[in-house]
Amino acid sequence: MSGISQDTDIIRILQSDINRGFRIVVEKYSSKLYWHIRRLVILHEDADDALQNTFINAWKNLGEFRSESSLYTWLYAIATNESLTLINKRKRNAAVSLDDIGSYLAGSLEGSTWFDGDEAQTRLQNAILQLPEKQRIVFNLKYFDEMTYEDMSKILKTSEGALKASYHHAVKKIEKLLGEY
Amino acid sequence: MKTMDETKDKNPFKVPENYFEEVNNRIISATVGAGPLIRKKGISRSLKLTLAVAASVAVFVMLSYTAFRLLNPDNRNRWLSEISTEELVVSYLDDIDILTLEENSDLSAMYDSEPVAAREDIIDYLLNENIELNEIYELL
Repeated sequence: MSGISQDTDIIRILQSDINRGFRIVVEKYSSKLYWHIRRLVILHEDADDALQNTFINAWKNLGEFRSESSLYTWLYAIATNESLTLINKRKRNAAVSLDDIGSYLAGSLEGSTWFDGDEAQTRLQNAILQLPEKQRIVFNLKYFDEMTYEDMSKILKTSEGALKASYHHAVKKIEKLLGEY
Repeated sequence: MKTMDETKDKNPFKVPENYFEEVNNRIISATVGAGPLIRKKGISRSLKLTLAVAASVAVFVMLSYTAFRLLNPDNRNRWLSEISTEELVVSYLDDIDILTLEENSDLSAMYDSEPVAAREDIIDYLLNENIELNEIYELL
């Protein structure tokens, strides 16, 4: 399986041997997608659920994937939607308002077995959690995943200009929040 | 105080040992390992097209028939005679209630009680709605 790194190669394999191709997809993308999901949903258990659902959805909808688009952005879009679905479900179950979800997730952060950050990292994560949902996604994709605005635009169906403005605004907000500590 | 960049490369989130190997196996079992992918057999494309055309024609015929009934003076009078006086009176009263409400509503009180949105909240809203801030700055 090593040496098959380009999406174009993977797509070709999917077309000829779907099972083998999908195994390669899982191996290549599970870690990346996990960390993207985890930064949004915070808890490991929730990220685990969303990751599985992401690949199950991808498997079921492989027939609808257009080979001219990028496998990478397609998978990230599914993962983002699964994360948001999970967050919305948590909001409903906990009867949390839209404005409180950041504080609610911050509470999950502090109590989590699988969070081992120092004071600075905790402050940064708490600051990120204060951002509006979409802005948080933009910030995470740019700052941690170093994704291009072009790819982000395909995932979030938002113009590159709006994404740049959103990221710039997110950075300013986080710097301000960190400065207040 | 550490800057954002100093904390960026350190991942504070942890996973159980061998997690990715284990989750990959679970995913494969739930997908590839679950058997051949059964694609839903829907109706064929040409049949869908035929049904769409048939539905459009049916809607057009219904609308034409209804329009004919409404516009035909003899038919209109016949319909009015089928509506009871009580039903007509109730429908007029509903209209009057709406107008009375509008006359009595204190619009200024509504505006006074409107909360003022914070500048930050407005900017967040605009960004989330995909509105280009530069265009707004130019207008201002």
